[in-house]
Amino acid sequence: MNRFQALLKRELKTSQKDMTTYALVIVLILFGFETLQSLIARYTHEMFPLEVYSEMFPNFLLIGGFIVTSLMFAEDMFGKNTQHDWLMLPATNLEKFASKAVLVTIAYPIALALLFFLTSLVTEPIQLLFFGNPMALFNPFKDKDIWMLLAQYWVWNSVFLLGATYFHKVHFIKTVLAIGVIGLALSGLALLFARILFAIRFGSQVQMFDAFSYLDARYVEQTLTSLKIYLVIGRILYYAVLPVFCMITAYFRVEEVQATDAV
Amino acid sequence: MIQTTHAEIEVSDTVVRMQDIGFSYGSKALFSHLDLEIQRGNIYGLLGKNGAGKTTLLKILSGQLFPQEGSTTVLGDNPTRRRPSLLQEIFYLPEEFPLPKMKASEYLKMRSPFYPRFDHTQFAAFCKDFDVDLNQRLDQMSLGQKKKVLLSFGLASNTALLILDEPTNGLDIPSKRQFRQTVASAMTENRTFIISTHQVRDMENLIDPIIILHDGSVIFNDAVASVSDKYVLNLTTKEPDMATAMYVEKVLGGWMVLSERSEESEGQPLDLETLFNVVIEKGKGGVR
Repeated sequence: MNRFQALLKRELKTSQKDMTTYALVIVLILFGFETLQSLIARYTHEMFPLEVYSEMFPNFLLIGGFIVTSLMFAEDMFGKNTQHDWLMLPATNLEKFASKAVLVTIAYPIALALLFFLTSLVTEPIQLLFFGNPMALFNPFKDKDIWMLLAQYWVWNSVFLLGATYFHKVHFIKTVLAIGVIGLALSGLALLFARILFAIRFGSQVQMFDAFSYLDARYVEQTLTSLKIYLVIGRILYYAVLPVFCMITAYFRVEEVQATDAV
Repeated sequence: MIQTTHAEIEVSDTVVRMQDIGFSYGSKALFSHLDLEIQRGNIYGLLGKNGAGKTTLLKILSGQLFPQEGSTTVLGDNPTRRRPSLLQEIFYLPEEFPLPKMKASEYLKMRSPFYPRFDHTQFAAFCKDFDVDLNQRLDQMSLGQKKKVLLSFGLASNTALLILDEPTNGLDIPSKRQFRQTVASAMTENRTFIISTHQVRDMENLIDPIIILHDGSVIFNDAVASVSDKYVLNLTTKEPDMATAMYVEKVLGGWMVLSERSEESEGQPLDLETLFNVVIEKGKGGVR
């Protein structure tokens, strides 16, 4: 067994109990929700909704995934009595970071999809037997937006990964707050930038929202065509540069972590 | 050629070299210009008052803390880099630690692959000596039992450097004896132990040389014999002459007096507790 495999095994073994509990909670929620929907459908004589799993999957992928990611480094990097074990583990900092990053970035979505499928495999025949509902097995690839969802998960998971290594406590909430503050600051900057552009184009006397009335459809189309390159740049920045930047910064945080960080 | 070989051996015999170390927690300085050398093949005892910085020193030399000043070399490598090649030669047993919720045997399977020279037969033998049940869950064990598991693991990992922070805390009386016997039996000329402790009586006849940490620096780093050869400890019922005595301690029924050894002087062997008190009282270089 090589070191990276040993690290992955360690991660899985040490979080086995928590992950099993989390999986059970998901199964119970799905089963409970399905049953509730069936009961409502039966007594209101409405159609039973077939999209329960597809509607729930993004919530558990995004919210659940980000919480799991936020907690990934809590004990190993910042636990006063636990961090020595991780710091003294004979593996490179990159291997230690990558083992956790791989689990939350790749293994978590796969495991969650599998859990949803297996839950539907057990739940659906029961629902059919007791309520006569049609079988609706979970298939993540049925939904065309799955790749977009996974892309969003990839981007925002890297941000939460950085938050997990940056903040010492309450990682998830602090990351959400930090995103909020950065979002507000960027919105302010964008507003300022737009105001300047509009002032240049229409004169400083025109209010920004009034400026929209000057825009005809042809002008908008022309403008958007010229903005396409910026759109591509924006996508590259959003889907590639931002996550890679967050991952690299998170790795450097792992490299510089010391026992004092737990004090 | 012979000189070169000798020099190489000398270099490789130094397991830890700390030079001019400065370290502080915030504005509170802990170490200032601290120097320390640790030679291979010894069981060092690290002594110091509460808050002297024993655990901090161990964390610096194991790469868990980075000094603000100075340089540290452990087995020829910089511990702050935390390279696997160095980490697999160091086993660190902290004073307090939680262990994962699993059986000792599962823990063994999970951790042993990280140590290339881990010996499973040795581990089983050490566990048997310590009377540890490998099928018991670690989270259901007492602190003493957990320490025995980790000690067995550390000894069986065959690392060149073992750092034990208060290893006898939580051990019952027979286990303390077993600890001394096991550590002594696991000792080889290629291994080095650094044992930080307040329980000097538990470590009597095991740790030597002694490192004493006081006021931010190492004030003593020598064998007990180096002091015993120069000084003699006597129990007297008469009030001693303070001018000639190196150290005086009032004990039940008289005084314990440390004085310079002469040709005909006879006295008690110097115990670690007295050595520590003498060194601390006399300060830097007082008894050397």
